[in-house]
Amino acid sequence: MFRTVSNFSLSLKTTDDVVVMTPRGYVDGLGAGQMEEASEAVLGKGAKKLIVNFSDTQFINSVGVSVLTTVVHRTQQSSGMLCFTNMKRVHREVFDLMGLTKHVKVFNEEDDAILYLNRTKKN
Amino acid sequence: MGTRWDLKRMLFNLSALVDLGQEVTSAKGYAERMRTAVYVITGMFSVPRAALFVYDPEQRALVHVAGKGNEELQDVRLSLRSSDVQQLPRNEPFPIRDMRTVPFFQRYEDILAKLDARVMVALFAKDEFIGVLTLGRRLSRKTYLRSEWDVLKVAAHQLASAVHNARLFAQHAEKARENKRLYEDMRRIYHETIEAFATAIDAKDEYTKNHSYRVAHYASAIARQMGWRKEQVEAIYIAGLLHDIGKIIIDRKVINKDSDLTSQEKEEIKNHPQVSYEILSKIRFPWKEVVHFIRHHHERPDGRGYPDALGEKDLSDGVKILALSDAFDAMTSDRPYRQRLPLAEAVREIERCAGTQFDHHISTVFIKMLEQEIKGKSHGQPILESMKMEIKAFRDANGPRYNA
Repeated sequence: MFRTVSNFSLSLKTTDDVVVMTPRGYVDGLGAGQMEEASEAVLGKGAKKLIVNFSDTQFINSVGVSVLTTVVHRTQQSSGMLCFTNMKRVHREVFDLMGLTKHVKVFNEEDDAILYLNRTKKN
Repeated sequence: MGTRWDLKRMLFNLSALVDLGQEVTSAKGYAERMRTAVYVITGMFSVPRAALFVYDPEQRALVHVAGKGNEELQDVRLSLRSSDVQQLPRNEPFPIRDMRTVPFFQRYEDILAKLDARVMVALFAKDEFIGVLTLGRRLSRKTYLRSEWDVLKVAAHQLASAVHNARLFAQHAEKARENKRLYEDMRRIYHETIEAFATAIDAKDEYTKNHSYRVAHYASAIARQMGWRKEQVEAIYIAGLLHDIGKIIIDRKVINKDSDLTSQEKEEIKNHPQVSYEILSKIRFPWKEVVHFIRHHHERPDGRGYPDALGEKDLSDGVKILALSDAFDAMTSDRPYRQRLPLAEAVREIERCAGTQFDHHISTVFIKMLEQEIKGKSHGQPILESMKMEIKAFRDANGPRYNA
């Protein structure tokens, strides 16, 4: 889909039933496309607990916000839980502005989000 | 606080409009540009679902070209009646719920519901209806701020222009393809006509069948070897095919005469380059050198040629190449009054006449090409295809030097 040249990579790790996505570099054109495909695949397999760790994310543009909007929407549709962690101030401001943070749990650290999601599992 | 957030929102939207401008004018394919444009716009307003329909005048329908979150509706087409478009505001976003009484929205209520379409913008560029963009429910807000409405309007204008330009570009590209096809056809007809002339010229003389083709072949091979550009090579090929066209006015009996020619007959034969020139100078060739090459293909560097007895300095390389090619084919073909020369003898004749009848440098180039081919070391197209027996005889007569 989005085929611009971009400085982006995405890592995925699964611990128990928690999936952590770590987008690195620029979440624009190509990066956003990869993220959308990866999140579709993860949610399609039935994942209900998702974390997006922004610690290595340098830049997010409107295409990136659009894809994150979809991730939020799909997680809601599947009654899943989504956490955003390690956001830089500039990213946090954009997500607040666009209303994304109203629909996700925000944590400073990924471990806190994992703990929260695992605790939720126990409940 | 409100002002600060308004300012930040405005900056984000401005930056998104810049993204949109870059995306719709990027070098990506049309479908991809449209898809990315939809993503930019949905990112500006946190909309999970959206669809872009472009109007197809031939089908009189809106065709889905890009979307987000509507994979199952990709093949949807919405037929339009002429009154439908008149009822749509131009590039002004509007809530779909306000249009419930309008026939178009009544007809497609189900599809619009499946698209979760809440807002629509009808896209127009220069009074031309381009299509519509539908936006679904927003993630966090139900409504749009006045400033967001204005931003959406600007984005719609940009999107409309992009689709309009893409459509114009596609029309021009189709026209260019059509022109290219016409040009190729014209070019084919041009070449076939010239070849028909060459066949007619050669048919005049039973001894020199295909002479024009062979001269064209030798001349273009030499020109290529000398580094001429493609269009120059083509020019000398054409000159080779047509160089003897002036012979069509000479009586067949004179051309095929096996005894000595009278002085009047000699003059008639010697006049053929001039006649060729007169016939061909009325044609506007793509390469003006063609007629020049033909007029002077019997000139010699020593000034003893005809029709103008030009000297070395007045002869272009093309003239010299054509003269050598013509003479070489004459030497290696049977004539009514003599048999062909063996290849070895023809090569020796070129060597002997280099600097007088033939240009020295071009003779050297040609002899080298012949040697390479005889040795089987030529990398290009063979130039002596019709002389396989002569090549063998040449190798046998000249010993190991010419045996590969």
